[in-house]
Parts: sequence; structure tokens; C-alpha cells
Amino acid sequence: MSLLTPDSVPTVVTTGASTRRASQAVTPRFKLGDRVVARNLNPIGHTRLPRYVRGKHGVIHHDHGLFVFPDTSAHGEGDKPQHVYSVRFESRELWGAIADPRASLYIDLWEDYLERA
Amino acid sequence: MSAEHHTAPETGPALRVKALEAVLREKGLVDSRAIDVLVETYETKIGPKNGAKVVARAWVDPAYKARLLEDATAAIAELGFSGVQGEDMVALENTPDTHNMVVCTLCSCYPWPTLGLPPVWYKSAPYRARAVSDPRGVLREFGLDLPDQVEIRVWDTSAEVRYLVIPERPSGTEHMSEDELVALVTRDAMIGVAKVQPPARKTR
Repeated sequence: MSLLTPDSVPTVVTTGASTRRASQAVTPRFKLGDRVVARNLNPIGHTRLPRYVRGKHGVIHHDHGLFVFPDTSAHGEGDKPQHVYSVRFESRELWGAIADPRASLYIDLWEDYLERA
Repeated sequence: MSAEHHTAPETGPALRVKALEAVLREKGLVDSRAIDVLVETYETKIGPKNGAKVVARAWVDPAYKARLLEDATAAIAELGFSGVQGEDMVALENTPDTHNMVVCTLCSCYPWPTLGLPPVWYKSAPYRARAVSDPRGVLREFGLDLPDQVEIRVWDTSAEVRYLVIPERPSGTEHMSEDELVALVTRDAMIGVAKVQPPARKTR
């Protein structure tokens, strides 16, 4: 394993390590405006699918492109790169009638977290 | 011996960090001097002043603002800011009709190259829970009372993209230079929990 040295810190800090996988081409399952539902997944291990959106209905707002899938990569089970979408949920869909009618939530979700509504 | 000759035991997290660093050092995986350089970098070199420069440039240069909204990562890199926790950036423009605010409900994801390390409240469970469920109430507690007709968009940055809010340019700043504008822009306004305040009127 390479050692982080004092000299290499500035380069490491300003370069970073994107998990975007721009060079690969994978056809997206969803397009802007598609109605989707966040799947009700409850894995034992790492996930970036917050509980409060599971089972909720939203709309695809933007396609960020391909990113490494944390649910597999965190466990050493491969990058499984897939599209990450900005999905818009109405506050009332998430929190019920008491929620603000003029507020909404935008969250970036990997394709495996979503299915067509 | 009296008790004051003893050093108080360290708190849990501080002790854990020291133990982790000791183990990593013994295994030859980290160099303590590199950690010192890292800490110094985020204490003195990288902070919200960087983001303020991006915002001020967007306010004075419409072509730059267009590039920032189209490809924030590239536009921010034009000003020399890039890297860890800013690899994939999106800029969100606040307007009189639409207010954007940012939270990471899963942990504390935050755009380091432009804002530095996150403030303690940003990492707190109450902010993370209530920013998504009651954003207008949270903003009110920050002192920002938005009219009911203003639409609020909350961005949960818990995946890989990091967000920078471009606050509205306050009135009364039309004749200010870019450098003077930089000094007005606050960290909280770039997270979206505040507006940028007009400059204080000079009193005679």
C-alpha cells in the first residue's frame, strides 16, 4: 500500500478521487420526467438509500451519469457502475399532509434503488 | 498527590482517533507528518473564502455564471479549486422565487474545495433530520423567514455529487468590486441556510 507522504498531500487534496466512471457507456433505464418509486430495500450492509425515501414516489429530475455502486464496492464486491439520478420528491409525499406544500426534496439515487412507478 | 497533578483522561472520540493513528502509523500505512500537512491545509488554506470567490465571480460575470450552472466542476476549477469532496460539483442558483438548501442526511457530505470542512451543526442529527422534514421551520430558526410563496428545494447530498448554493446578490452592491463582494458572501449562504446581507450602511 502506498504511504501518504507530506509532499504528496497537496496533489492528493486537489486531485481527489471521483467515483464517476465517464469512460463506460451504459444505457440509462430512466429518462428525465419518468415517474419512479424508491425500492423498499433494507440491506444489512452499506447503502446510500436513506430510509425516508424508501417506497416513496418521485420524478427523475437529472441524470448525473455513471458512478460506482457503493452497496457493492463497500463490500469489495465490484464497482457495478450505474446511472445516478437526481430524483425529486414532494415534501407531502415524504411527510404527509402536514408537510409544506411548496417544498420538495432532491436526492441522488443509484439506478438499482429505483423502479418504474 | 493531589488530583490536579493528573491529566484528565481524553474523551472517547479523541482517544479513539489517537489509537487509530497509532495503529496506522505502526503498520506503516500513514505518516504523521502527512496528517499534520492535511490538517494545516484545511485549517488555513481551504475554506469558504474559496466558495465566496466563485459566487462573487458569478455575480459580476454572466458568462462565468452560465458556465458554473452548466458544469460547476469545470467552472470552479477555473478559479483553482478542485479535489477531495469536490470531484463532481453542481451549482444551485437561489432566486426571489426559489430557495435551495443543502443537507447530507446520511452523514456530513460537504463540498470541501469550496467550503472547507463542515460546521458542527451541519453534522448534527437535528439539522440532518429536520432540514428534509421541515425546511421552512429550520430556515426560520437560522433567522431566515421566507414568504410562504417562495418554493424551497432541499438537496440531500448523500451520494457523490456535492452542491454549492449561489445566493442572490443583495441590492445596494451594484457598485462594489468583485473583491468587496467576496467579503460579503458567507458560508451559511452557500449552504443555503441564510441570505447574503447587504453591506452595512456607513454612518456619518
